Amino acid sequence: MARARSTRRFSFAAGHHYRVAAWSPEENERFFGRLTVPHGHNYTLDVTVRGDIDERTGMVIDLGELKRVVAETVVDRFDHADLNADPLFRDRVPTTENIALVVWDLLAPKLGVDRLASVRVWEDATLSVEYDGT
Amino acid sequence: MAREVTLTRVYHFSAAHELANPALPPEANAALYGACHRPHGHNYYLEVTVAGMPDPVTGMAVDLGALDAQVERSLLAQVDHHKLEEAPALAGVITTGEGLARAFWGVLEPRLARGSLRRVTVVETAKNRFEYRGQND
Repeated sequence: MARARSTRRFSFAAGHHYRVAAWSPEENERFFGRLTVPHGHNYTLDVTVRGDIDERTGMVIDLGELKRVVAETVVDRFDHADLNADPLFRDRVPTTENIALVVWDLLAPKLGVDRLASVRVWEDATLSVEYDGT
Repeated sequence: MAREVTLTRVYHFSAAHELANPALPPEANAALYGACHRPHGHNYYLEVTVAGMPDPVTGMAVDLGALDAQVERSLLAQVDHHKLEEAPALAGVITTGEGLARAFWGVLEPRLARGSLRRVTVVETAKNRFEYRGQND
């Protein structure tokens, strides 16, 4: 049985700003600068799954199923949404790092940690964060 | 629970180069490297991947400003709109994509938080990517 990885790319446009609730406005401004101002990004999400190549279908995963799961779980939730208003970011700043961890936590129960290999979130073409469950 | 993520930052520089092994005569270099032996240039992309734990308060695993400043100061300033063979950091390096990735790793690794550098990728053209992950890869 041969194992392989499949990656499908998704996108969502979302708004956010950086703010630590326990800090004063001045402290937030000093640390985060312009990132304290609400703004948005066209995020790109790469979801990689791994597994045995099914000898009957020739597939690791039905990409249609992956598309449906990621759309229902992540894209519908975050596309054209204010990330700071989402309960998942109530106690954490919606940095690219934390978005990657949150996306992993949303997808892992749906796809299984044995199948989910990594998630990679691109804030723009110059910055991405990857998490592989380790 | 602290979980480690890897963050990749993409930088850009344009530079001239020509592939040649100084130990070889010109005819041998021309034969070995073909068109790449002639002086030419590329719009390069440099991808720097570092690992870190997102800070529980700020959510940041990496000080991006510090990373950008370090890459700019120690690498980009030497190579952007320069001839690669004349960059001090590339002395003695045959400037293939692989050679650049390994040399850039050598410059950045000691200047970043200990053990944080995971991967240096040099994108020479849309068709050519070269990765270096350190000696133990």
